[in-house]
This record gives sequence, C-alpha cells and structure tokens, in this order.
Amino acid sequence: MDGEIFRLPRERLGALIERLALDYRVLGPIRKGETVAWGDVRPETPLALDYPTTMLPPRQFFAPQREVLFRFRRGADGGFSFEEPPSQEPLALLGVHGCDLTGLRVLRSFHESSCRDKVVPHRLDRAFILGLGCWAPCLEESFCKDMGSLENESPAALYAFDLGDVLLVKVLSERGREILQDVSPAAATAEELVALRRRLRVRYETFPSHLRFPPEKLAAALEAAESDILWEANADRCLSCGRCNLVCPTCTCFDVCDQAALDGGEGARLRTWTGCQVPGFSKIAGGHDFRPTRTQQLRYRIFRKGKYMPERYGMVGCTGCGRCINHCPTAISIRDIFRQVGSP
Amino acid sequence: MPQVSMIPMPCRVVAATPQNSRDVHYVVEVPARSFAPEPGQFVMISLPGIGEAPFSLTALPGEGAPPGHFELLIRRVGRLTNLLTRVRPGGVLYVRGPYGRRVEWDPFEGANLIMLAGGLGLAPLRAFVWRALARRREFRRIDVLVGARSPDELLFKDDLATWSARTDEVHVRLTVDAAREGWTGRIGVTSSLLEGLKVDAHDTYAFLCGPPVMYRDCLRRLLAMGLYENHLWLTLERRMKCGIGLCGNCQLSGHYLCQEGPLLSYREVRHLREAV
Repeated sequence: MDGEIFRLPRERLGALIERLALDYRVLGPIRKGETVAWGDVRPETPLALDYPTTMLPPRQFFAPQREVLFRFRRGADGGFSFEEPPSQEPLALLGVHGCDLTGLRVLRSFHESSCRDKVVPHRLDRAFILGLGCWAPCLEESFCKDMGSLENESPAALYAFDLGDVLLVKVLSERGREILQDVSPAAATAEELVALRRRLRVRYETFPSHLRFPPEKLAAALEAAESDILWEANADRCLSCGRCNLVCPTCTCFDVCDQAALDGGEGARLRTWTGCQVPGFSKIAGGHDFRPTRTQQLRYRIFRKGKYMPERYGMVGCTGCGRCINHCPTAISIRDIFRQVGSP
Repeated sequence: MPQVSMIPMPCRVVAATPQNSRDVHYVVEVPARSFAPEPGQFVMISLPGIGEAPFSLTALPGEGAPPGHFELLIRRVGRLTNLLTRVRPGGVLYVRGPYGRRVEWDPFEGANLIMLAGGLGLAPLRAFVWRALARRREFRRIDVLVGARSPDELLFKDDLATWSARTDEVHVRLTVDAAREGWTGRIGVTSSLLEGLKVDAHDTYAFLCGPPVMYRDCLRRLLAMGLYENHLWLTLERRMKCGIGLCGNCQLSGHYLCQEGPLLSYREVRHLREAV
C-alpha cells in the first residue's frame, strides 16, 4: 500500500469525469438492464463501481472489434484513392479491475515485441486509467488470484478502493497526480487508512485459490501434458462458436475485410475480431487446414495463453478473469484445464 | 505515425496468361523502384471493395520476370480470385509488400540444389528456380522435381520445357498421381521423384513447397538420403491477413509466419506442432 492516498467523496466522481473529459473520451462501467458494460460516461452518469466483470474487456477500445484501416474512393479515371482515418482520441477508463489492467499489460507486451505496428501501445500510452480494487470475486469462474492479477495495479495512473461513501485513491503516476489535484482531494484520514488496511488484510484470503502452482510454471506444465485425453474430452464439447476468443482480454487476432457501397465506388477496409476457435481460421491454399480438429484448436488456444505468450512476450496470456468460462455455452473451463495439467 | 499503413499501391498488369481453366499467370509492374523481394516472400493483392489475400511471387524482377516487373499465379477459388482473374493487361492490381522473411542466398553458393514442388507449390518454387538459374554459375547440379495430380494440372509447362532443354546440369523430372492414356511420363507421388537421386548429400540444399502430405514424405526421404536438417527449406504458406505480424492467422506454435517465414528450415520447425 505504497504511494500517497487521497480521499474522494463518491459525489466528487462527477467532478473527476468533468476534468477528464477536457482531455479524454471518458469510459466507465454502466448498468444496462441486468448487465454492466463499458460505455461513454458524463459527469452525471452513475458509475456501476460494484460491477461484475463486463462481457467485453477494455481491449475493445484499444484494438476495437471493428476498425477502419482506410477508406477508398474510385476516381474519374477508374483508379482508387485512399485515406486513413484520423487517429483515435485519447481514452480515460474509470474503474478497471486488476484482471483487465493485467489484460492491458499483456496487450502491450504482445504489440511491443511482436510487430512493427505500434498503434496499440501508442493508444495505451495516451490513455488515462483509474484502476479499482476488488473486494470479492466477481464471477464464480474467475481465478485472478491464481494468475497474479488480483493485486496488479499497473498500468493505472490512479487506483481506487471503494469504501462506500468515499473512494480512497492511490496516486501511481505523475499524470494521475495532476488530474487528481484538479479535483482538490483531501488526504485520507487516519481512520480511513486503518479501515483500508484492515480490508486489504482479509481481501487476499477472501479470494479462493484454484491452482496449486504459480503462473510461471504453466508453460512447463502444458508442455508435459502430452496426452490427448484431456484435450479431446474438452474439445468434444466445443461448438466452435469463438466466444472465448471474443471475450478474452488478451486475444489479438483479427480478420481483414472490405465493405463497399453497392456500386463499389467507395468503402472501407476494416479489421474485425476473429480467433483461433473460429472455423476456417487455419484454412490455407488448396482447401487444406493445418489445424483442422477441435482438439488441436482448443489445445492451441490454451497453449497460446499459457505457453507461447509467456515465452515470446514475457507475460502469461491469461489474466484469470473467467470470461471465457462464464460465456462458453458448454462451460469449457481454462481454469480446470490449467488445474489438470498442473496435477502430478 | 505509430501505425503501419495497410494502404496498397496500384500496379499495372502487363500480361495475363491463362494456365488452364482456373489459373492465370500475371506479369505486373513493381509498385516502387525499391521493391526487391527475395524468393519465398509474398505480397498482399487486393481489389478495393472486394478484399485482399496473400500471393506468392512466382518470379522476381530480372529473375524470370522482366526488370521492373514481378509475376504471380492466381487460382480462381472464390469471390476475390474470380474477380482478380478477370483483370486484363492494362488493368490494375492493388499490391502491398513484399512481406515475409528475407533468406539470403550466399550460404547456398557452391552447393547442389533440389527444387521440389507439388501442385500449386510450383508457384512459389518457380521463383526459386529462376533465382538459381539467374545465378547459375554459383551452383552445381540443380534438380527440379515437380508433381501434379494429373497432366492437365501441371503448371508452368513452358517453363518446365525451357528448363528441361538446358544442358548445364539442370535436371527436370515430372510425375503425376494419375493420368489418362497418352501420358508417357512418370506416374507416382511427388516424393517418388527422389528415388534413385544421387547427390552429394552434405553439400545439397532442398527447397520444398506443396501440400502437407508432400512435406512429410519428401522430408523423410531427404533426411534418409543424408541431407542436413538446416539444408531443407520449406515454404509454409498460410492465409495471412495483415503481413505485419499482427492478425494472427499465420500463427504456428506462437510463431508468426508472415514475419519468421513463410520460408523456414526444417531445423527451425521440426519441433513445432502443426508445422509439417
């Protein structure tokens, strides 16, 4: 619990949003019917700070589900001219859980080491993130403590603990301090700090442990899981719907497709999310498929998260958020698979 | 800008020659003077409003293709390729690239080369053969071994005839899986062309492109002949969507083949799942 801690009465959240809106497009968790989803917020918008995990992770703003790469237009000579869209405005995300903060770190580690395109790291650099401490597991399927993301506060600029009427806000960066100063917070009182310490002491024990090994051991455990039985048993239930890919905070794969007016004279080339569990993803010339079976595809997803990503980008590709388990129509559980490969 | 542009360049088609009922061979002007691909690299070809797909280069500027031009083979298999194969000389293809790993040829100097292609695999392999012939003096014996399903499906028959007519230790052998009456050539799978081939195994490089089953058979035979694992080069063609190491469609055990391939040595991929 290092760093300076300020108190922000809950009713001052609107002032914080107002301040951020000067420099950012401000996003936060908003109640929509029975669920909570990320959306644009204004000073008067009630933030659902007690939210369970949203279905779509914050990566939807940094590498959007559907993004224009460029627009094209046919000229009088029949040739096309092209134009790239203006760069995205800076984003402020309010109330990001530890699992999703970790997801953003993984997103950065992939984009920084894998490819020449640095647009996602650039968007992350310009973003302002207010993290939010969790007091209880938000999904039955989550296992953030096992994956080390429960207590992760990076890359937040400010990190808040919700104590009911008041938020205790920790300053994690210079930019965080600047913004917070502008809404003139007071120092946390001694009683509030004691209350926070007490809650943090019990928090760790409140979250259950599901795995008996640390995430660093995952790559080796997966490599040792040579038997196909585990993969087949799970893949037998897979419907190849690809939901696990879409809700994952660390999936990065996309498809490229064109959208044009009926006369073909103008349109856009887009990137849209896809994933390794979607049929056809591994099809190649001549109608061949280099990863044709569900068993291979499922194993690929789990290996990507637990082995390839840590080996190549230095971070395990699973944050323990539990989304892929929660949203799987047949309840295939990456947590159970991790537990089974880790059992002697 | 931190963003890598995905905007293509218009390139003029100077020749479009049907190879058979579904394959068209194109000679295309290079998008820029700096366009200097190596064999095994690929380009993304598109028609705005229709879509984009990766294609191997079948000949490089000045090496099989005229200077300032490159060549492509486009097979009609879907909506995009249906429209691409309708582009006639004077028309335009939208091109970006080249993409993929650049493999330098200096280490191959002084060695024998075996070029092995199955079916559509001759499209990328053709650029390797023309490279080798463009630098003929640097190599010793060159074997070009080509298999197809049937005589009708043999691609680049003119090139095969040109290469066969050479007398400078360039040996072309063809085989087909099945043929009607009238085919006097060999019948058998591509790997059978390696039977009885006598080479100085430690001083020979092989380049392979074809369907997955061809890789398995040919690699087994080449290794049994004594060729070194790092002398066997495979082109692992995947359906790349971006070419810049981002979209993930070409991933092989975490490796992005549009960056680290598609040309890789067997030593680099032998331990990877789903490689061959």
